[in-house]
Amino acid sequence: MSQEPTEFEKRSRALLEESNGRLDGRIQSRLTRAHHAALDQSQKPARAPWWRWSVPAGAAAAAVLAVVIWVGHPPVVEAPLKSVDDFELLTDADAPDFVDDGEDVEFYEWAAGEMES
Amino acid sequence: MTAFVTLAGVYNTPVLTGERSREQDLMTSRALEQFLASVEKRAFKIAQLGLRNDDDALDAVQDAMMKLVQSYASRASEEWRPLFYRILTNRIRDLQRRRTVRGRVMAWLPIREGEDDEEFDPIAQAPSPEANPARRLEIDEAIGALEAALRDLPPRQQQAFLLRNFEGLDVSETAGAMGCSEGSVKTHYFRALESLRARLGEVI
Repeated sequence: MSQEPTEFEKRSRALLEESNGRLDGRIQSRLTRAHHAALDQSQKPARAPWWRWSVPAGAAAAAVLAVVIWVGHPPVVEAPLKSVDDFELLTDADAPDFVDDGEDVEFYEWAAGEMES
Repeated sequence: MTAFVTLAGVYNTPVLTGERSREQDLMTSRALEQFLASVEKRAFKIAQLGLRNDDDALDAVQDAMMKLVQSYASRASEEWRPLFYRILTNRIRDLQRRRTVRGRVMAWLPIREGEDDEEFDPIAQAPSPEANPARRLEIDEAIGALEAALRDLPPRQQQAFLLRNFEGLDVSETAGAMGCSEGSVKTHYFRALESLRARLGEVI
């Protein structure tokens, strides 16, 4: 304080000091525990800020999402035509209709067997 | 702090950076422990007068200690006292506001007398053998009257008086702790002093 304290200020301070000196053991013990708890906290390693781990976590989540999408919808790979003959066969207007003439399937199987033998 | 400065001077030999860092941490930790031990009782009294409840006061002091260690341990030790009291006065104000709101909401409930009564501790309550009974009674009455008058002060006047007169902060440090201008501190302190003198002039 810049000015000399008055008698009243000195007396009131002395009374507060006296009152403080009479703190019971329970309060004193809890205050000591409080300051030790505060100091213990300073000994623990500081936790990394949230943005430190959020970037790798986000990248990992994106990778998992990409895998899930890819597995759920595998890309359609069209089988290449074996030869120009196959292409011509399919586009030939006079070629037999294998799909619609289901009743002739046995004939074509027999004919294929004959040709192989 | 002088002891730590002296201790640092003893280690003239070159040390590894890690060792120096650990040594620095240890010194800071010891300085913090000394600081907290030096303020804990006064801080409790200030919180107790502001909150009128021992448990709330203890919580406020512990929160302030935690916050100081967590956020300001690396600051120069001369800054700790005003920072600590800044945190504490903010905490006390928060609790006072919360209590006001809770009081409004819970006003319709019947008051439960004796809810916060502490267990009787015969050792704590036992009279000290040092002072003679008449003198002790006189001091007890004066303390009771002073603390009652302090509790009845407006919060800012109470803080200004306790930080300046009891804790011994200067005007600038008190302004920092209270988050106001030095002029406001002087005004609050002067009004607190006038009010206390008018009420207690005969008693203390």
